[in-house]
Amino acid sequence: MHELSIASSLVDSILEFVNTHSVKRVLAVRLTVGKLSHIELDQLQFCYAAITEQTPLQDSALEIETVEAVVRCEHCLYRGQPKYWDDALSVGPIPTLQCPVCGGAVELVEGSDCAIKSIRFVTENEGVAMPAT
Amino acid sequence: MIQTIEASPEEIYDIELEHSLLEANARLAKENRALLDRSGVTAIDVMGAIGSGKTTLIGLLVERLKDRFGVAVFNGDATTSNDADLIASQGVPVVQIATINGCHLDANLVGKALRKISLEKLRLIFIENIGNLICPAEFPLGSKARVVVVSVTEGQHMVRKHPHMFLGAQLVVVNKTDLAEAMGVSVPNLTEDVHKLKPDLKVIATSCKTGAGLDDVLTSLLAV
Repeated sequence: MHELSIASSLVDSILEFVNTHSVKRVLAVRLTVGKLSHIELDQLQFCYAAITEQTPLQDSALEIETVEAVVRCEHCLYRGQPKYWDDALSVGPIPTLQCPVCGGAVELVEGSDCAIKSIRFVTENEGVAMPAT
Repeated sequence: MIQTIEASPEEIYDIELEHSLLEANARLAKENRALLDRSGVTAIDVMGAIGSGKTTLIGLLVERLKDRFGVAVFNGDATTSNDADLIASQGVPVVQIATINGCHLDANLVGKALRKISLEKLRLIFIENIGNLICPAEFPLGSKARVVVVSVTEGQHMVRKHPHMFLGAQLVVVNKTDLAEAMGVSVPNLTEDVHKLKPDLKVIATSCKTGAGLDDVLTSLLAV
């Protein structure tokens, strides 16, 4: 259930921003989640909705964009999507660290992170100077 | 006709933040690693399911190493100190990390444990992660190598059921091989599954009961 830790960390970061700027209400939070991170998106949405109640983030939309994984092979210099193991009897194909071109071991360069991209919010009132970001 | 535009009492803004949620842990893991490197200590993170044999394996490795150089063990466990007590009976420094409700160790907890013991006379620390096959993969601790312990009692499809765990590992131990026949589980097939995920990942078959493979594990870990 580490989606709850991820959601808490997300909400803490946004609340820190809210508390140090003139934010009345947060409308949306845009998040990018790598395909090779181990985060279950439905659970994350559920945890987010639960812990934002009665905060300035209540009813805000959590917009999640998944980021494709990128691997690099130092044997044949391939760079691109990982090879997926699609006959593993699993629900979906499993990403691997096997080079799709030469079969060697590849390194993951992108696709394991989870990051806040941006937030959309309403300020307290008109004319409030926008804080530097 | 005059059109009027009224300033809205509320203004909507979009702000780019670019803030990684996993970065805080990753930064602490780097700090742990720097501290370990400065002290000449290697930390090995041992992950695997509950009952895969992590504690027994660590106990047997400690037994073989403790007269050669300083070894310590951090035992992650949600509630009990069973595992920590077992290792402490060997007379090596042990820190029990009770996560209570947490499903994995994180770099912050390991950093606290590192400050609880004297690193001066140590060369190796085994960090036994919480028995869990998903969450620990997301949280590096600052170890030099991550080991996944799989036991044949977890069934033939264990590797493909929990692929993420293996992608970040440097060594896989297939344990309880003395039970493989009784379980109807093929160790070569488990090994093949590991290599489909990560071709160069070293796999060692062990039995903590007979001692098979333990010397190979030791040699691999001392070489990291």
